[in-house]
Amino acid sequence: MNDIPQQLVNGLTNGSLYALIAVGYTVVYGIVQLINFAHGEVFMIGAFGALSTWFLLFRDNTSVWVLPVMIAGAIAASVATAVIMERIAYRPLRHAPRLAPLITAIGISVFLQEFVRLFYGTIPGFPSAKSKIPFPAIDGVTGSPFHLGSVVIQRPALFTMGALLVCGLFLGWFINKTKQGRAMQAVSQDPDTARLMGIDVDRIIVIAFALGAALAAIAGVAQGLQNNNIDFKMGFMAGLKAFTAAVLGGIGNIQGAVVGGLTLGVAEALATVFVTGAWKDVFAFGLLILVLVFRPQGLLGARVVDRA
Amino acid sequence: MSTTVDRADGANSPDSSAPAPAPRATGKGVPLAYAGSGLMTASALMSWCYDPDVLGDLTLYGNPAPVQLTMLVLGLLGLVLAMSAKGPLRRLGAGLDTSRGAFRLGLGAVAYMALTLAAITAQAGGLVNADPGAWVALVGSLVLVVAGRLGVSRPSRNIGAMRAKGWVEILVLVALVAIALLLVADGLTLRDPWAFVLLLLGVGAAAAGLAGANAFTWLGVTASYHSRVLTLAAFVAAFAFPLTQNGSDANMSIATQVIIFSATALGLNIVVGLAGLLDLGYIAFLGAGAYVGAILSGSAFATIDWQPPFLVTVIIGALFSALLGLIIGSPTLRVSGDYLAIVTLAFGEIFRLAMFNLDGNNGPKITNGPNGIPAIPELNFFGFDFGVTHHLFGIPITRFSNYYLLLLCVIALIIVIFSNLNNSRIGRGWVAIREDEKAADAMGVNVFGLKLLAFAGGAFLAGLAGTIKAHHDVSVTPDQYQFLESAFLLAAVVLGGMGTVGGVLLGAVVLKLLPEKLRFFSEYRLLIFGLLLVLMMRFRPEGLVASKRRKLEFHEDDEHLADKVQTIHLEEKTS
Amino acid sequence: MSTAVAHDTGAPDAPSGRDVLLEARGVVMRFGGLTAVDDVDLTVREGEIVGLIGPNGAGKTTFFNCLTGLYKPTEGEVRLSGTVLPPKPGRVVRAGMSRTFQNIRLFANMTALENVMVGRYCRTKAGAFDSILRTPRFRREEAQTRERAQELLDYVGLGRSTELLARNMPYGDQRRLEIARALATDPKVLLLDEPTAGMNPQETADAERLIFKIRDSGLAVVVIEHDMRFIFNLCDRVLCLVRGKTLIEGTPGEVQSDPRVIEAYIGTGDGTEPDDPDDIDAKIEAQVEAREAREGGRG
Repeated sequence: MNDIPQQLVNGLTNGSLYALIAVGYTVVYGIVQLINFAHGEVFMIGAFGALSTWFLLFRDNTSVWVLPVMIAGAIAASVATAVIMERIAYRPLRHAPRLAPLITAIGISVFLQEFVRLFYGTIPGFPSAKSKIPFPAIDGVTGSPFHLGSVVIQRPALFTMGALLVCGLFLGWFINKTKQGRAMQAVSQDPDTARLMGIDVDRIIVIAFALGAALAAIAGVAQGLQNNNIDFKMGFMAGLKAFTAAVLGGIGNIQGAVVGGLTLGVAEALATVFVTGAWKDVFAFGLLILVLVFRPQGLLGARVVDRA
Repeated sequence: MSTTVDRADGANSPDSSAPAPAPRATGKGVPLAYAGSGLMTASALMSWCYDPDVLGDLTLYGNPAPVQLTMLVLGLLGLVLAMSAKGPLRRLGAGLDTSRGAFRLGLGAVAYMALTLAAITAQAGGLVNADPGAWVALVGSLVLVVAGRLGVSRPSRNIGAMRAKGWVEILVLVALVAIALLLVADGLTLRDPWAFVLLLLGVGAAAAGLAGANAFTWLGVTASYHSRVLTLAAFVAAFAFPLTQNGSDANMSIATQVIIFSATALGLNIVVGLAGLLDLGYIAFLGAGAYVGAILSGSAFATIDWQPPFLVTVIIGALFSALLGLIIGSPTLRVSGDYLAIVTLAFGEIFRLAMFNLDGNNGPKITNGPNGIPAIPELNFFGFDFGVTHHLFGIPITRFSNYYLLLLCVIALIIVIFSNLNNSRIGRGWVAIREDEKAADAMGVNVFGLKLLAFAGGAFLAGLAGTIKAHHDVSVTPDQYQFLESAFLLAAVVLGGMGTVGGVLLGAVVLKLLPEKLRFFSEYRLLIFGLLLVLMMRFRPEGLVASKRRKLEFHEDDEHLADKVQTIHLEEKTS
Repeated sequence: MSTAVAHDTGAPDAPSGRDVLLEARGVVMRFGGLTAVDDVDLTVREGEIVGLIGPNGAGKTTFFNCLTGLYKPTEGEVRLSGTVLPPKPGRVVRAGMSRTFQNIRLFANMTALENVMVGRYCRTKAGAFDSILRTPRFRREEAQTRERAQELLDYVGLGRSTELLARNMPYGDQRRLEIARALATDPKVLLLDEPTAGMNPQETADAERLIFKIRDSGLAVVVIEHDMRFIFNLCDRVLCLVRGKTLIEGTPGEVQSDPRVIEAYIGTGDGTEPDDPDDIDAKIEAQVEAREAREGGRG
């Protein structure tokens, strides 16, 4: 039981990652009531975007100033993917029976995974993505861990938690203080009235997709730093976990996604302590099913508008 | 018969707003169509290539190879269309959109010839090896395209209402089934991927032409008239298939895999197609059955030392699977739709991980973890050993044929369950739930019970198939039952047509057969079916073989479609 | 088999002498801080037609939803023939109360006949095994269902539209089809939510005749309507709701002449009310639907 504090740190680290991805599910769901199943792949593409940026611009340079550029590359790749998929796949189906966008989402998810697996390596100078690709170890954010008593804190873990903190603050500011953020809230409460008030609903939906994608991209970089490698399959499990986190916090509720992510991370870590690591994922999904059955509105309740 | 039919004709071709039945096949299209299809037909009797090693021997005059025979068939189809537009088959032409048919047939034939020329270029080393015949065929196809564009045919009668004598219709249907059997048998024997793709393309071109001419509307109505005959013919053909293989196991092994896949897809179709619930963990139910089958098989690696008769194992496997289905379906009481899809997905992962972990280290030793349970003995049904070759009238029935025939019986069972449920009070309840869940509830439809029934029933059938699959595969491992397989099944259902038997069979056969026959395809298989899901949802969500109701549901705003379906429905009811 | 509908009983007795069928006591429905239905009582006797009127947003449809189990009332209870009804739509229908919807909710892609056959669902029993094995019970029941559905279509005057898709039917026919579907559940009490909305005078007159015919066959009918002439012609008793509360209950004559009723109707127009003058029903409906959509719509 001595490793409980250590597991808590690990849990918070994973939880931060889940939270960053979960925001994307929740923002999109809050506005178009669509589970963007392919969001996990947007996260994966973020990681590959960062890696590609590094290959193209820096190659062998691991000094810390490279990192912001890599993050920018990640965000660019993820946002582009998300916006394109919204435009060509989801938008035409906005009034179709709900089965249609869901099936489309699965199609996109499989397609993106395979696309990266098959074609990433065909770009000159890039390694094949059919197996894991090493992720550059950036100075400062990787390397020797910090020690806090008996607890070991890896540097990438700090990066992940820091990223969540910064993104959380940014989100709070964006949603409440900017014009787009407030329009987003309006659309999620009542799309028809929002449209009548002159809000361009299509644009807000695109912004929601982009916002989620940007956060997922940052999570992708964080994941790469933590694991030292990335692969085309990384989005599936992470996406599923993040969705669990979003449901746990109450889907549609942005604070909920963060709380849900951290809760799930910690719960998983504790499961590792008390049961065994092999059943960690089973535990997480079991939790998802239980929450959906007994408290479908999540821990923090559904979106704020429901309190009308 | 008269008034409604006229109204619907307007619906068939939206551009014809003229009240009086306009003259059919106007303009210069018809002579061109004769010319084009004539050239296509004639080209089949000419030499296409100097090199006798390309695509079977294409060098002979008057002795068409299979690749040329396909073109011959396309040419003859073109002639039939031309003759229906103006000529001896005018009566047939009254209901056909001949120019659209000719246009699409022509396009298909052009694609066919383009690929043939590409094959000649690739295999014989250059386009110079193409003989005049190939060019004649290409020109003929192009002429047919132009003919189709020029002519504007306006069908004056509703083709769904055109009836031939009963025995003629049955003959047509039986002939089609026989052709399908021959095509599959022929396709499986093709070793050359070019030839295989060409065959597919040829079939696609013929289908495009017939669909363009509205012939499939007639076929659909006729098939529903004689559905029993059709089903019987299809099954006779399917049962006859092993007899055509002459004891060779190469194709039977593929055919057996196709049929396992089809059976599972049909089970999934009850959940997705009838009840309208998205089940993304369906493969786990197949897996549950397979594991039960393996553990109770008496394999040296089985963890339970009990080997009941196989029939008992089947029932245990199916019931165990159904129980899992009940558990997974139970959230439907509180959540529905999208959430449920994720619950099933999570369940599928839980299943795979659990099978992985029940290895004796991380949990009780039940499944041997990633190693799975190998060395599952062959099935033995009352002394009938599935592992050895038997003889029927002197024709050898091999190991795979044994399993094939057994699985065919399973498919028959699933089809009976599927269609009988669909045409019953329960089926109506499912439709009502899909249409408007709240109204269905308010009208006393037991929404929760019916959803649960779909889940448990679908799981039951998958579990049943799984127990047989375990013996067929000889070993069971967790990675056979991962999410992508569920998505693959879903793709078959979506491609073929949600809620239809024929469609899903078609989808399953196509999706499973292609990767087996084409190395190229098997590498890109997942990429292609991911794309397929997206494209189908965008452009034809009801699938290749559409169920009328599903089509209406996916096109809520399409008034023309509603009128058209209405007319055909009335036709079916009145005659 | 269709005793409830098949024969006319002639002029009804004085309603008060008959058995009480539906009894709602102290029904309250709150949504957060908003009280949509506030302590409403309703008694309906056999063979009676009761009208429910009130300005937009008075809570009429919400009250209907409370009666039929679509909403779970915050307070109060609903009894049918003396038994308390649980707030579950399916159970309410089986107990013998059925309804139509203000915004028609037919199964659009089913034929008229199939729509009515769905209404028979709760009165038939053939299960999965019967259906798969096509047992004699299944065949018998299926034939009866079909026959009864056709009978009901004839009864509401849609005998010739049997095989039409509901979405292809004219508006007035759709309303009648909804009534046939509701009748298929063999109700003792029929709730009609604005059965003549959007109808022309001819269709309205037909609807009136149909409702009388249903009443004469022994059913009790509760009608929400805005058309005053229609309601005062039709009903034995009228209940007027204003802002969720019962304003007055009485014979059409009494209600018609009550100054408060007139004031309530005119009062909503001038916008001086402290309360939200908009249609509360519609708002609640929209909110509930939005929530349902979020919690997973049509799957």
